[in-house]
Amino acid sequence: MTALATFFWGWLLGAFLLGFCMGWIAVVHRARGVSKLQMRLLSLLAIALVAASAAHVVPGRFGYWLDLFLVMFALYLVGCAIGSWLRDWVVTRSQPVR
Amino acid sequence: MHGLYKWSSKWWPGVIPLVILWGIAAWSSTATVEGDLAARSNAALKDTVLDKRRISVDGRDVTFAASAFSEDGRLSAVASVETVPGVRLVNDETRLIAEAKPFVWSAERDVLRVTLGGSSPLPASKSKLTEAAKAALGGVEVVDQMGLARGAPQRFDSVAVLLIDQIGKLKEGKITLTDNKVNLSGMARELGGREAIAAALKNLPDGYSVAANDIKAPPYVFQAYKDPVAVTLTLTGYVPDNTVHAALVASAGRKFFSEKVVDNLKASIGAPSGFANAVVPALGALSRLSTGTLVVSDREVKLSGDAFYEAAANQIRAGLGKDFPQGWQYKAEISVKPAAAPVDPTVCQQLFADILAKARIRFESGKADIVADSAGLLDRLIETAMRCPSTTIEIAGHTDSDGDEAANQTLSEKRAQAVVDYMVRAGLPANRFMPVGYGSTQPLGANDTEDGKAQNRRIDFVVK
Repeated sequence: MTALATFFWGWLLGAFLLGFCMGWIAVVHRARGVSKLQMRLLSLLAIALVAASAAHVVPGRFGYWLDLFLVMFALYLVGCAIGSWLRDWVVTRSQPVR
Repeated sequence: MHGLYKWSSKWWPGVIPLVILWGIAAWSSTATVEGDLAARSNAALKDTVLDKRRISVDGRDVTFAASAFSEDGRLSAVASVETVPGVRLVNDETRLIAEAKPFVWSAERDVLRVTLGGSSPLPASKSKLTEAAKAALGGVEVVDQMGLARGAPQRFDSVAVLLIDQIGKLKEGKITLTDNKVNLSGMARELGGREAIAAALKNLPDGYSVAANDIKAPPYVFQAYKDPVAVTLTLTGYVPDNTVHAALVASAGRKFFSEKVVDNLKASIGAPSGFANAVVPALGALSRLSTGTLVVSDREVKLSGDAFYEAAANQIRAGLGKDFPQGWQYKAEISVKPAAAPVDPTVCQQLFADILAKARIRFESGKADIVADSAGLLDRLIETAMRCPSTTIEIAGHTDSDGDEAANQTLSEKRAQAVVDYMVRAGLPANRFMPVGYGSTQPLGANDTEDGKAQNRRIDFVVK
């Protein structure tokens, strides 16, 4: 993983920034969120993919692509979390005290 | 925390550009990653000795195929690839090279090249042996047909290098090392080569032994060629040592009175016993030929050429006398030189004078026995006498002034008679010769110097 990060920090930074932006928007976004059930299914899918990656069951290039996706996705999620939390903090601070 | 959960339900739209980004990243990076990992894996194996190494990278998975020379080496090579940063997993297709039992290595020399065959334990020793062969053989083509195998005996490299040195001493042949037994066969390049190889094999390390040494020595050759046109006697080949060398050349000088001796002899060990005793009489026989070649090869003496007349040819064919050693073979192919044209008495006298100016008939000291070294000279005189069949020839014996005059007179008569007897035995009619002894009454030189005395001790041929 460390090696991947040093190889392709650019792409990973891109994924993180993308997540950061998405998180920033998400706080004030009025779009429809995913349902609880969908969220669970997606979580299961993510866990399954992580498990597949950890167990090295996907061979060759597909295995590499899976790893790359999971790392980018993980950084995307981190970016989202930081973005959302920061936006929330900014929004809360700028609101007048009631 | 609740907020984070709430917000996260709205994070999904970003996944679409993320997937596009991932697609681009995967498309553009795969080949780079694979190339990079292949290079790092090869670098990690740089110092590991392997044969037929092949590394292919698929994504981050390395397929590693190679032949290792030991189990430890194999495991450590796989471990080195596994620890290369970025490698996800290693498909281990390594194996050990086959074990040779028995472990056979060979070096074979023929006219054109040296072929190294059999098994070698490591690529390094393979190239080391090839280099050693090139160095030892200077210029001869070296063909490397060695395979790689486990199971070499201890100190294989040093033994193989020692054996390669020996192959340089062979003209053709084969040296085989089977486990720790050495087999040799073939022909040594030079005289003494067989002995040199046997001596070198004593340096084999402990545990090694010579199973069979069938190296043959080249024949011990001595050649002499009497060339009547260039008036030379050319000696080539080998003599056992400098003493025999000097003795042979001196003997040739006495027997070949008019020829210049060209000495191209080399001293070498390996002469058959009785060499000098065989060669000296053989040179004597050659000196009696008008033109001829003497080839002594090991214990075989071959003489071919033309004798001056029939009786001489028969004597030469008959053998080399009582001194010729036992166990030696003598083969003579002697023909008779065509008879020279008859000449008138004046020319005949001139021919006798020319021949006797070059050499004198020599006798045992104080006796009337002609020494064997004078046979060639006498043959020339007999041939000349045959060219003027109608003449009568006075054979005049002379001595120096040393000793009693009466004894000198008797000795000169006996010596003249001995020469006449020799002529008659050669087939000339006795009535053509008149033996006369003059004692010391007709000196050519002063009798007070050794040179002068030597000039006075002589047999003259006077055509009447």
